[in-house]
Amino acid sequence: MIDIHQHPLHIKEIVEQNDELSRHTKNVYGIYSSPHSLESHFYQLDVAGIDQAVIMPIDCTTAHGCKLVTNEQIAWLTEKSSRFIGFASVDPRSPNALKELEKAVTEYGLKGLKLDPSLQQFDISNKDYAFPLYQLCSELDIPIFFHCGMSWSPVGKAAFAHPMKLEEVIQQFPNLRIIISQFAWPWVSEAFMLGIKHKNVYFDTSILFSGTPTDSVQQVLGEQIGLKNLDRSLSKQILFGSNTPRVDPKRLVWAIEDLKLKPSLQQNIFHENAASLLQLNQGGVTCSLS
Amino acid sequence: MQSVVKTITLHTKQDMEIINITDIVKNTVAATGIQNGTVHIMTKHTTSGITVNEGLPDIEDDLVDMLQRLIPRNGEYRHARFLNSDGQMAVNGYSHLRSALVGKDTFFPLHEGEMVMGSRQTIYFMEMDGPLYREFLVHVLGI
Repeated sequence: MIDIHQHPLHIKEIVEQNDELSRHTKNVYGIYSSPHSLESHFYQLDVAGIDQAVIMPIDCTTAHGCKLVTNEQIAWLTEKSSRFIGFASVDPRSPNALKELEKAVTEYGLKGLKLDPSLQQFDISNKDYAFPLYQLCSELDIPIFFHCGMSWSPVGKAAFAHPMKLEEVIQQFPNLRIIISQFAWPWVSEAFMLGIKHKNVYFDTSILFSGTPTDSVQQVLGEQIGLKNLDRSLSKQILFGSNTPRVDPKRLVWAIEDLKLKPSLQQNIFHENAASLLQLNQGGVTCSLS
Repeated sequence: MQSVVKTITLHTKQDMEIINITDIVKNTVAATGIQNGTVHIMTKHTTSGITVNEGLPDIEDDLVDMLQRLIPRNGEYRHARFLNSDGQMAVNGYSHLRSALVGKDTFFPLHEGEMVMGSRQTIYFMEMDGPLYREFLVHVLGI
């Protein structure tokens, strides 16, 4: 199983590398509980049945003066364990964004880009600073993971993360693989519309708005979209993602299992779609620049 | 009269796990040098427990099965919500209720340097929302 969506903000070995990270995790990201050790983290993956997890930072330098874990720390974790697959983050409004992303991919071996418009407070459709970033991702052949919809951060602004802002990006970059988190809840219908039209649009399952994960996943996937539509139209585009540490990953696994999906669809969600997206069976991403 | 409190740490490895802590408790008590009094063993968490039972694998499995049957994961619990004070999904109401049913602690008399226990009594730390880094206390009070 592959978890496409984890933030290592709760791993003690990372928190202890940076005096400010703990404060930013509380004030900017909005997690207030205590971190746990890397050893505990692996036990959590084991219990959930997760073989590999994509870990991602968020560079909020312009909006909040901080990085919620650095690309270098992500690279450090991927060197510690092959169970981690690293994504980079850069601040789209930084003049160094393109150089930093290229370095993260070509030197650190990171496999994708994480952007959180609600936290980074940038305009997804800005052609001056955002589109060159998408162009570089296309050339590097790496996916972009967009936080979309509700932000649990106390300073997050969801209006920046409306999925309809992605439509022009999808049309301008038809080969760019785009992952939309949490089906962009509460804008589920709009996100679903993008997914059924564009096969380079993917969704993760980190739907955490209320009740238990089983409740909220059932409400969105089972009722709003419908399991038949999932199987018919999105079977190759849904990725298991937990958004750890917002939730213990085992609970998202149980939530997907509680849907009682066709075995082939569940296998696609838990493994096949992410393996294909991340090109895990093809020796990783191509890092050459055109 | 002396009062000695020792903190024992452990990494649990399962969602629900029953861990025999009898020997570590006895060794901790012996190290205090206290000969007569009481031994109090207490977990510091609200989704774990301390209990005493016969040290057999089937009893251990039955204990876990009983808690899952009496307090199922997919029951209706008010605690099923996003916990704003943590910034995380709580959704472990069943773990708290299982913990409440098992209890947080147990006592044994301490007599002439030995914990007074039945021959089949085994002390367990029960994990009910693992894997997590956990702590329990051994408090020895006596002379």
